[in-house]
Amino acid sequence: MSDGRPVPTDVHSLSRRGFLKTTGAGVAGGALATMLDARQAPAQIKGTTLRILQWSHFIPAYDTWFDNVFVKEWGDKNGVKVRVDHIPHLELPARMAAEFAAGAGHDIIMNGSSILTRLYYKSLADITDVYDSVGKKYGGWIPTAGPLVQVEGRTYGIPMFYILLPMTWRKDLFDANNLKAPDTWELARVAARTLKPKGHPTGIQFSQCADANLNWRSLLFSFGGAEADPSGENILIDSKETREALRFAKALFDEGMTAEVFSWDDASDNRYLASGVACWIHDAISAYRSTEDTNPPVFQNTHLAMEPAGPGGKRVSVSAANVYMVWKFSKNQQAAKEFLAHYMDNDLEGMKQSRGYNMPYLLGNTKKPMPIIGADPKMQILQDFPKIVAFYGYPGPFTTPIQEVVNLFVLPDMFTRVARGQNVEDVMKWGVGEYRRIFAKHKRA
Amino acid sequence: MTGSSLSGGLDPRVRAAAVSAPVRSAALRPWRTQSAQRLAFGYALLAPAALYVLLLVGAPFLFSLYLAVSDANVGDPVARFIGLENFRSAWEMDTFWIALQNSVIFLVVAAVLKSLLGTSLAFLLLQDFKGKKLVRGLVVIPFTLPIAISVLSWKWMYDSQFSVINWVLSRMGLIGQFGTDGWPIWLGDPKLALVACILVNVWRTFPFSAIVLLAGFTSVPSEVIDAAKVDGCSFLQRFRHVVVPMIFPILMIGFLFDTVFTLSDLSVVYLLTQGGPGNATKILPVLAYQIGIQAGNLGRGAAIALFLVPLLVPALILVLRNLKRREY
Repeated sequence: MSDGRPVPTDVHSLSRRGFLKTTGAGVAGGALATMLDARQAPAQIKGTTLRILQWSHFIPAYDTWFDNVFVKEWGDKNGVKVRVDHIPHLELPARMAAEFAAGAGHDIIMNGSSILTRLYYKSLADITDVYDSVGKKYGGWIPTAGPLVQVEGRTYGIPMFYILLPMTWRKDLFDANNLKAPDTWELARVAARTLKPKGHPTGIQFSQCADANLNWRSLLFSFGGAEADPSGENILIDSKETREALRFAKALFDEGMTAEVFSWDDASDNRYLASGVACWIHDAISAYRSTEDTNPPVFQNTHLAMEPAGPGGKRVSVSAANVYMVWKFSKNQQAAKEFLAHYMDNDLEGMKQSRGYNMPYLLGNTKKPMPIIGADPKMQILQDFPKIVAFYGYPGPFTTPIQEVVNLFVLPDMFTRVARGQNVEDVMKWGVGEYRRIFAKHKRA
Repeated sequence: MTGSSLSGGLDPRVRAAAVSAPVRSAALRPWRTQSAQRLAFGYALLAPAALYVLLLVGAPFLFSLYLAVSDANVGDPVARFIGLENFRSAWEMDTFWIALQNSVIFLVVAAVLKSLLGTSLAFLLLQDFKGKKLVRGLVVIPFTLPIAISVLSWKWMYDSQFSVINWVLSRMGLIGQFGTDGWPIWLGDPKLALVACILVNVWRTFPFSAIVLLAGFTSVPSEVIDAAKVDGCSFLQRFRHVVVPMIFPILMIGFLFDTVFTLSDLSVVYLLTQGGPGNATKILPVLAYQIGIQAGNLGRGAAIALFLVPLLVPALILVLRNLKRREY
């Protein structure tokens, strides 16, 4: 506010050089502020090419929008030619290794589920400025976002979105058998035990696939277990909570599942639900969406629920993280950063285009009602997940030893061994041994 | 005009000098001789193949040796020499021994099945029948189809719920109904899963064995077979004492190719089970890929992959020794 009085100035003390400096800085600062405000990219990126490598989204409509509308509009506006390549998500680590070895490839590369920041950070561009400015603009990031992309105080990636794996259950079957909604793992077990003899068992993958890694971690962490401490250095898997979780999984398998689950891949539970057999599954909302398309009567009775609570009331939902990174060898880092900032500005539009599949990391974007899921009564519960979301390594970061533990499916194998009838203590001995061996190897290195 | 022409012939000294000149120049420059030039020409013809092997086989092999004794990982451009640490780490792994055992079982069972099926198919294709050319074209389809497509089709056929194999067997009354214990879970039962993976590998590559054998069979002169028939040899006697010795080099090369293809077959297992359930189908190439590429430890991945070499070397020695013995 101004009081209306003229500001006294000493015109004689202002040299010509000083005047030029002051006005120049003012003009430049104003232009930068305007540019950031309008998200207008600097002129030097005009005429350049930006190459992006990412997965083929589980919601194909998202890729159509991303490639043909979103990227095209940004490219046209800024005079940047953008090329987007899509590959299956499981191939991303191998492609990243190849591009690193060649020292050439895309400017922006996506990591899905396996977040390789700690492995590659020396070869990634430091994009702390983008991470900080975006975070500041949208009320900060959810607490578990930072450890995915930060190493030694610097930030080497932009968390794009994560994929939830909520409880997806058949309300009609539950109601017909006077069962309570699966708000706790115990209630889910009771439901499976009751409904399996009636031809409606449940199923979680006891196999070597990504969903097995995610689902069994959700159960373990909700039971109070942990993989590593917050530093990521010390293993916490050897605990009574892990033993309890293993015993629970064995009971859940015996009472409520069939041997099919030993052969399941990531899509098997989707099919199980869509076929009308499953009483509940614990899976990404793609299962819910695909049932909507393939079996509308079953979809009508399918509901989503909060992550079931463990015996102590704790709820932890282990989700599949997705992150964008920029190679240090990229010759177009400026355009890459501009694009990422623009991408995050359109975070909620991405959520809409993915039919609610892409969950935002930015706290400002988690306010209710969120797009799509806030408008659908059955999906509204998903808005409560951001505060319980965790990723591999919880409560520690996704370190390189944890990455190896995940890629060798050590934790799902522990659950599988118990389900197959091995003694819990023998399995603990094996599993803890594997964790220790892997952590020790990385320490030696 | 010279004195020599006048006398009607060359002076013996000149003649001797003329005769000995090429001999001496050849002695001074041995590469000018005809045999040396022929040898050089031979090497020149061989050079592209040798260069190809050196660049595409030798160099990667040496590079993997280097990786195996270093702490190289996918994200760090600088690797330190760590001796045999990676091999020691592999030996300490429970999963490594399971993978090694599975690799040997996979190799032996697949080799036996491919030999039996390949030989039978080759004999069938040797017969005269209508549509022979079409059938010969069709049988190589499994081998020529992109591996990802064919293996994903098998994955559906082995599906725990929608398996077409199970539904057919169930309708025929050979197995139980869906949801009962009599319903096999192909990729979920540890023993069945390994069998399922081997069957897909055999299905994919036995036509190759058949084609190799067929090429061998057709190269055996019919007179020799006829002579054996006249001598009263039975079918098996003709096969064992006439055909096999004649096509032995082809058999050996086929065996070598097959061993290499089977041992290094990552795709079938990776696409069907990723090594599960509970490592029941884990083989060395899958473990090497998971540790080397997915987990980023190139050094340890390379060390695990190198354990394939001791498995391959005996096969190679066997083949080369047999081929050499037959050469002389």
